Order: sequence, then structure tokens, then C-alpha cells
Amino acid sequence: MSLLEVRGLDAGYGDLQILTDVEIDVDDEEYVTIVGPNGAGKSTVMKSVFGLTTHMGGTIAFDDEDISGTKPESVIHKGMGYVPQSSNVFGELSVVENLEMGAYILDDIPEDALREVYDRFPILKERTDQKAGTMSGGQRQMLAMGRALMLDPDLLLLDEPSAGLAPDLVDEMFDKIDEINGTGTAILMVEQNAKEALRRCDRGYVLSNGQNRFMDEGAALLNDEEVRREFLGG
Amino acid sequence: MSISETYGRYRRALGEEPLAVVVLLVALWMAWTLATGLMTGGIQVSSLASQVWDGLLRGLIIGLAGIGLSMTYSILNFANFAHGDYLTSGAFAGFATSYLIAGFGESSIGSLLLLGAGTSVTGAVIGVGVTTSPLAVIGGAVVAGAGTIALALAIDRFVYRPIRDESGIVLLITSIGVAFALRYLIQFVFGARTIGTTLAGSVPQVEVVELLNNQLIEYTARETAVIQGTFRVTAHDITLIAVAGGLMLGVHLLLQRTKLGKAMRAMSDNEDLARITGIPTERVVRTTWILGAGLTGVAGYMFVLWKGTLGFNDGWLLLLLVFAAVILGGIGSIYGAIGGGIVIGLTASVSVIWIPASFSRAAAFVVMIVILLFKPEGIFSGRTTA
Repeated sequence: MSLLEVRGLDAGYGDLQILTDVEIDVDDEEYVTIVGPNGAGKSTVMKSVFGLTTHMGGTIAFDDEDISGTKPESVIHKGMGYVPQSSNVFGELSVVENLEMGAYILDDIPEDALREVYDRFPILKERTDQKAGTMSGGQRQMLAMGRALMLDPDLLLLDEPSAGLAPDLVDEMFDKIDEINGTGTAILMVEQNAKEALRRCDRGYVLSNGQNRFMDEGAALLNDEEVRREFLGG
Repeated sequence: MSISETYGRYRRALGEEPLAVVVLLVALWMAWTLATGLMTGGIQVSSLASQVWDGLLRGLIIGLAGIGLSMTYSILNFANFAHGDYLTSGAFAGFATSYLIAGFGESSIGSLLLLGAGTSVTGAVIGVGVTTSPLAVIGGAVVAGAGTIALALAIDRFVYRPIRDESGIVLLITSIGVAFALRYLIQFVFGARTIGTTLAGSVPQVEVVELLNNQLIEYTARETAVIQGTFRVTAHDITLIAVAGGLMLGVHLLLQRTKLGKAMRAMSDNEDLARITGIPTERVVRTTWILGAGLTGVAGYMFVLWKGTLGFNDGWLLLLLVFAAVILGGIGSIYGAIGGGIVIGLTASVSVIWIPASFSRAAAFVVMIVILLFKPEGIFSGRTTA
């Protein structure tokens, strides 16, 4: 049994179906990416796992438990963290308040987790009282990841973590993700920067038009003629 | 710099910022009128002080009611037009309780609860006032808050919640319906009369005899104008300041220091993100109603205690000023609601120096429009619910 098992998922928004029969697996401690063209439904997969879309069929199981149709506010209790693509911090709240919200479901702020987040992202410690909305894109992305790590999740969903970052920060961000994965957190990541993502991950899925197209180890997908031609720009 | 250059500069300023020039001229005229009025004794320093004081207190009421309106707006995403009638409901529930406590045994329970409808019972007769019957006032304020909370939760449960996913316009129009229903239900039960609620005469007042004015009169050598202005501070003024100030401080601490308050701010900031971090949104919505309605009910009670009369239209009439305050302060911000409330309250009171009293409400809106023209996002922009 995998940690996350998406089987035959049909999902969308209201009456509009985006995903058809999507299958995704993530094993314990595995690093999986989803790549594909714009509008392929990559982000919709992530949102569906967190109950933010209209569920139309199929199952989503996490840790052997069917969580299809679970409300977003309950999914976090299962041991999953989610960093959405945009507006992923509370802009009106300070850095430390954002992190506190990451651990909202606990009675007390987990001091150990807070210290770990600060160690991982030292910039957040320097700016504890700064309003999140006034930080740069890269800092906000780190804060969003820090917030999602406050509960030490078994699986972290990352939607386009490199989007909008300055080129020199992109590598740093991918290094951070490697580190997080290195400490035992499984990763499911959607990335626009497909080549870099596939180079770094264990396994990759190629999605197109809301359907699975390819699935293999990252390196294998990078070398696949068809994948290169169709999705990686040659 | 030659005269023509200077002239050209002013011409340009007039062309580029005509509004700023007009506002500046009006401000200069107002300052001139005020200064000459004070110098000649046409405007008494004491009456000016009383107007400022009155405006400040009115502003605190508007601000307190505005916090509730602003909170429900930022968390529930709709402008609740029934808010003013929540205020009236709180005042009626509170005063029914005060009458009952203060007048127990002096009249039948029924007529006390109906605020003396059809009898000679009035607030003055049974002595409702913070010094004459402190228990009645405390009990009334508590019931005003609690009753309004119960009312708001019931209305949310049966009216707003079923249509929460509709657009803001649907909710807004529904709330206008709720406003009418509440207002005329109150009129049906208590009647359309204006009720004298407090024992105004016996409320202790501190009279601040005014010296400055006399000095000025001497200075300008106008012996004919013998004005013994006094500036009164009543016990109800002080009660109002203490209660409103205390509640505002409490809301501030709640939002900034407690986990629940931070969750409320988080939800007003980004609802989807709040949900995926596990914040239970329905509970936050309920808390918002509880806080907003409680503050509004107490604001209604304090308003009536302070002004001494109560009518079924009071909250509705105040609502426009509350809206003005909330918009002026930057909708969604509780500090904006407080600041905007004080600006609106002061404007409405102090404007009588320059214009007839019947235009004082209009003046408040003119000030709102002028400020918004210069700062469209409101005075406290960039600070939502927090």
C-alpha cells in the first residue's frame, strides 16, 4: 500500500470536469512530481487531495484510509501538508503568526517544530514580526513551506514552489525541498520547471488534458523521446 | 522668481489639483470663522468643548457598532444592513431588563417589560441611571449584549446560513429584508413612541467652569458679552467611555493575542488557506457573529443610556453613520471602524459651528467623501480585521 493512493479520480469545479481517471501513488518518503502543460489539471490534483474541488468519482486514500470527500479543514489532521501555488501565506499576519496558524489544530505551539522551521529557513527567524504580505516572493514561499511543516507531515504537497522566484533562488528552493525529503517527508510536487523537477525527483507523472500520460522514474522520463518532444521542448 | 512665474505655478496647481485647492479654501474659511468666532465671543469655548465632547462620545458608539459591522463584512463577505436594527434590538432588550430591575414592584412586570407602554412608567419615574440604579444598568447592558447575540445567531442559522454560498448581493438584499422585519416587529411590540429611558436630571455632572473664554473676552474688550459657559461631564459620559474603551481594548487583545482571534484574522485574509490549515470555518463564523452582535447590542444600550431616549428607528438612523465610519476607516478593519467612527461623530457634532444643525449628518458624509477622494482605500487601509 502506498502512502497516497489516487485511483480513477474524476474531479473538477461545479459542473466542469477537469480530471478524468487520474492515478497517482506516493510511497513513504518518496519524492514524486507531476509535470505537464498549462491546463493539464496538475494543480487540480493537489486541490482534490485536499478536498477543495468537486469530487466526481474514484477514490483518494491516505495511509490506508479513504479520504475522498473529506472537508479541507479535516485533511490536515491526517498528516498531510499543502502549499498552494499562489496567495499561500496570510499576508495580514506576521511571520510567527503564520507559523502558529500552521499548527492551529494543536493545543500548543510545537516549540520543536518551530525551531526546526527556523533552522531550515533562517530568514524567517530574522523577520518573525514582519507582516507576511510585505515580504519578497521567495521569502513568502519559504514561509508557506515553513507553515506546512509545522505539523511535521508525512506527505507535503507543493504546488509550483519555484513559480515567480528569481532564477538564483530557484536552485536554493529545490535544494530545500531535497533536504525536507531527506528527513523523511514524502513530497508530491507540481512543477512548471519540468526538467529540473524530473532531475531531482524519484518518480514523475506527465499529465495532459486532465489524464495520465506517462509515469516513470524521473531520469527515465527525461530521456524518453516522446516525453522530450511533447512536453519538455525537445 | 517673477510674479508671472508664481502666478503660473498657482494656476498649474489649480489646474492639476482643483479639488485640493477647493478643500484648502474651505478649510481656511472654516479656520477663519472659528478663530474670529472665538475671539469675538460669537462661539463660546465651552460650547465648542461640549460639541467636541459630544462628538467624541457619539463617535465611540458609532465605532463600537462599526466593529461588529466591519467584522461580519470581512469574514462573511457581505454588508449586513440589519446591523442597525440589531443595535435597536439590543437597546430594547437591555432597557426592558433595566426597567424590570429598577422598577420591580412599582409597576406590573408586563408594563415594565414593554418599557411602560400605556402606563405612566418612564425611566425617570423608576430611576434608571448608572448612579441611581447601577445594577439595572449592568444587567441591562449584559442582556443587551446577550440578547443581540442570540438574535444574530438565530438569524444567521435560519436566514443567512442557507444562502451563505450565494453572492454578496443576495445576502445584502436579504439583510435589508431582515432589517425591516426586525424594525417593525419592535414597533409592533413597543410602539412608535419615543421613550424617555433614563433619569437624566439625577445623573451627577461635573461642571467645568470655563476660564479661557472670559480671558479672551477681556482681551478683545467686549464687556457686553457676559458669557458664563460651562462644560458638563455626566456620569453617563464616563460610563460610555469606560464601556466602549474597555470593549475596544478587549477586541484588540482578542484579535492580536489569542489563537481564536488570529484564526479570525487568518480567515478574513484568505479563507481557502485558512481551511487547509485546519481552521474550522463554521466555528469562526459563529464567533464572528457572537462578537459582532455582542458589541453592537452593548453599543445600542450605551447609546440610549447616554442620550436618554429610545425609539424603534434609532439603530436604522445610526446605521448610515456607522456605514460611513466603516467605509471611511477602510472596510474590514476594526481600527478603521473606531477611527472612522470618531471622525464621523466629531464631524456631525462640530459641524454646527459652520452650518445649520439639520445638515450635520450631511456634513459627516461630505467629510467621508472628501477623505475617500484623497485616500480611496480608507484611513486605515492595509489593515483588515486585525
